[in-house]
Amino acid sequence: MMEISHETLVAIAKSWGLFYFIAMSIGVLIYTFWPRNRKRFARAKLIVLDKEDRPCS
Amino acid sequence: MRLIAGLTTTERQTGLFLAGLVTLMGAALGIAGRNDLLGYHGLLIVVFGAVIMIALLRNLDAPEPEESRLSEYYDDPIRFGIVLTMVWAVFAMFIGVWVSALLAWPELTFDAAWASFGRLRPVHTTGVIFGFGGNALIATSLHVVQRTSRARLPDQVSPWFVLLGYNLFCLLAVTGYFLGITQSKEYAEPEWYADIWLVIIWVTYFVLYIRTLARRKEPHIYVANWYFMAFILVVAVLHIINNLAVPVSFGSAKAYSAFSGVQDAMTQWWYGHNAVAFFLTAGFLGMMYYYLPKRAERPIYSYRLSIISFWGITFLYLWAGSHHLHYTALPHWVQTLGMTFSIVLLVPSWASAGNALLTLNGAWHKVRDDATLRFMMVAAVFYGLTTFEGSFLAIRAVNSLSHYTDWTVGHVHAGALGWVAMITFGALYTLTPSLWKRERMYSNSLVEVHFWCAVIGTFIYVFAMWNSGIIQGLMWRTYNDSGTLTYSFIESLVAMHPYYIARTVGGLFFLTGAVVGTYNILMTIRHEPRPLRERAETLGADQPLVPGE
Amino acid sequence: MPEIHRKLERTAIGFALAIIAVSSIGGLVEIAPLFTIDETVEKVEDMRVYTPLELAGRNIYMREGCYACHSQMIRTLRDEVERYGPYSLAVESQYDHPMLWGSKRTGPDLARVGGKYSDEWHVAHLADPRAVVPESKMPAYAWLQRNALRTHDLSAHLVALRRVGVPYSDEMVENAARDAFGQAFPDGAMAEGVAERYGDDTNIRAFDGDPGRLTEMDALVAYLQILGQLTDAPHQKEAGEQLVQAEEAE
Ligand code: HEC
Ligand code: HEM
Repeated sequence: MMEISHETLVAIAKSWGLFYFIAMSIGVLIYTFWPRNRKRFARAKLIVLDKEDRPCS
Repeated sequence: MRLIAGLTTTERQTGLFLAGLVTLMGAALGIAGRNDLLGYHGLLIVVFGAVIMIALLRNLDAPEPEESRLSEYYDDPIRFGIVLTMVWAVFAMFIGVWVSALLAWPELTFDAAWASFGRLRPVHTTGVIFGFGGNALIATSLHVVQRTSRARLPDQVSPWFVLLGYNLFCLLAVTGYFLGITQSKEYAEPEWYADIWLVIIWVTYFVLYIRTLARRKEPHIYVANWYFMAFILVVAVLHIINNLAVPVSFGSAKAYSAFSGVQDAMTQWWYGHNAVAFFLTAGFLGMMYYYLPKRAERPIYSYRLSIISFWGITFLYLWAGSHHLHYTALPHWVQTLGMTFSIVLLVPSWASAGNALLTLNGAWHKVRDDATLRFMMVAAVFYGLTTFEGSFLAIRAVNSLSHYTDWTVGHVHAGALGWVAMITFGALYTLTPSLWKRERMYSNSLVEVHFWCAVIGTFIYVFAMWNSGIIQGLMWRTYNDSGTLTYSFIESLVAMHPYYIARTVGGLFFLTGAVVGTYNILMTIRHEPRPLRERAETLGADQPLVPGE
Repeated sequence: MPEIHRKLERTAIGFALAIIAVSSIGGLVEIAPLFTIDETVEKVEDMRVYTPLELAGRNIYMREGCYACHSQMIRTLRDEVERYGPYSLAVESQYDHPMLWGSKRTGPDLARVGGKYSDEWHVAHLADPRAVVPESKMPAYAWLQRNALRTHDLSAHLVALRRVGVPYSDEMVENAARDAFGQAFPDGAMAEGVAERYGDDTNIRAFDGDPGRLTEMDALVAYLQILGQLTDAPHQKEAGEQLVQAEEAE
């Protein structure tokens, strides 16, 4: 196995953490505001208020 | 037994087989550990398995349940789980009050090892977090996933296996501390065999959840389930990694952690912090995202915001654990990283709290009249306050004062009492009448009483600990003119005394509320509510408050 | 229909994987480097392992939950260094499986309590803290004096610790139970081996004041007396230098 030194790991930790964070935030924002998802979300909001208390068959 | 009559014959047999297996495992542990404390736990497992076997055997040839059950949700384990939740709440909060009293009056105990502070304290923490919180999460998650998927649980054995198996874990944990079995890692005290058992339970829980979701009739997985899934998954990962250990032998309860020193500290607080994040936060957020809109009869304010804050919390929390280790032997850059992420964490946390409160906007009259909804409203407020305080405490300079003091304990209980317990009570008061097909709780005035006990108790507790914590922290670092420390440790200890008494009083309020709540729930289960006419004659808070009426 | 079903199932599992992926990054990035930390933790020559008796005492410390009230981690803050002694180094808990840094100071930090008081003080204090310090909130541990110490499986304990990386020699493992007795019976035949295996500085005394019996009190006091004494490294820095560093860290 390749020897990974402590410094390398620390360097990766410090630089990639931020990169991941930004990439992930963009991904999540795209997902939430993707136009096709709008209808699903609007429907999802109302699931909770459903009065019928039995499974669909 | 009605619960067993709901199972098919095959399911009863499967249950019998599983209980038999558990009993055998217990016997094996008991025999291997007969010269060790482990022997007692072997016995406990045997008894636990045997009781279930006997119950099943006595009803083995009860008639098959009706086919029509399949067009209903499967709620028996959830009902059982609710009762267990309240039993654990009363037990563990009673221990909390006792532990608290011991700090004010240390002689208030027996000359016996099991009754000393150091053993009772983990009984309290495990009892409230895993016993009370865990059972509440299992029960509500199984309720929510069925409703939001419009699908029945896939089978009738695995939910029981999860619920009962989980309670066996809690029993092993708590009895272990009384006996002196602990690996001393905070919130991960149970020893290796209990840890392995929990892994089995947790995997079953996850599979059950996924199978139910797979049966769903709704195209989209409702966000509450996201939180419950994150809770199940991340807790599994945390639990397995933090508990890696080498047992002394198969016949010994003791194991030695695979990690030591700095690595252990980091792993432990990575675990400890995220147990708070994914057990005490994500799971209960799942609860909030279902029961709060349900009770308020209003859809969640912004569904998109709930998604964004979900990923924010999932991502950010796991970076933050090292703020528990400021100024220690942990490398400096790890501390800084932990601090930074802890502060960023405030954003998704407040997004969740804000989302909850904005949902209530326009329904404030309901909040005013309905103590159940008020429980959840107060919970959301405390969630916001506690996460703010948490980010604040993670700042190195603040932490240098607050760490090791009662301030931390105050912070923990602002979250534990104000957020975790209140959202749970709100959810249970919403859930109980609907599960037992009652129009409403047995007594709405008692819900009111519980609410006020809980609020008063929380305020007294938290203010007492803020005061004592800050005083303590300041006394430890005060210098006099000649440049030496002003106060001895004992002087700081004496200064804490009144606050410890106040905290005990606050705890008693909270405990009283929990007892009242338990009584109310049990009475709801046993009785139909009084008929309408009689109710109309009583005034005020006793008015019907079930939404939609 | 089955086709749709399969697809739905896949989204749930894909979702689970996404959660794992997103959440594990933080832990990996922060913790992974700590496992290569050997390169940065101070190397010290004189760091010794716990004797079997001290180890048994440490286990009692954990069993009784002393860590719930006492920390063992002096932070790099001036007031802590002045109150408790030189701040804790990573190397000092190198053999602690698990560490007992603690998170709450209802009582004072114990990282440097070894040698601060006499054995008699500890025995009296543990048996009845308020007899020694009237304002104390500490529980009484009178039963420690009554319970005989279990030693029969100490060898297995050392083996388990060796598996997780503590350098116990074969000889130490073999003699674990004898050494536990030896350390608390200075005049007995078994005492010599202890010093041989664990160094001449090892405390060999009747810790609980009763050389006739090996009790849990012996073990716990032996452990308390070694806290902060396993290596000299923290004391090698001048006190002044420590304070300066502590202030810089602030
Ligand atoms: C309820 C919290 C609590 C628990 C549990 C506890 N202690 Fe203490 N301890 C204290 C307090 C408070 C003091 C300070 C007053 C005193 O000296 O008694 C103290 C003081 C001490 C001291 C003296 C420290 C010094 O520098 O003066 C030692 C040694 C000690 N404890 C050991 C133990 C051991 C060993 C255990 C477990 C068997 C234990 N303590 C459990 C609260 C606790
Ligand atoms: C009746 C109500 C309660 C009382 C009286 C109470 C009391 C206490 C006391 C006295 C301690 C020890 C503090 C110390 O060592 O100084 C404690 C610790 C703790 N309690 Fe509670 N508690 C209550 C409810 C809860 C609830 C509902 C939860 C969680 C859901 C909770 C979680 C915790 C945790 C996590 C700790 C450890 C804190 C730390 O280590 O910083 N408690 N509690």
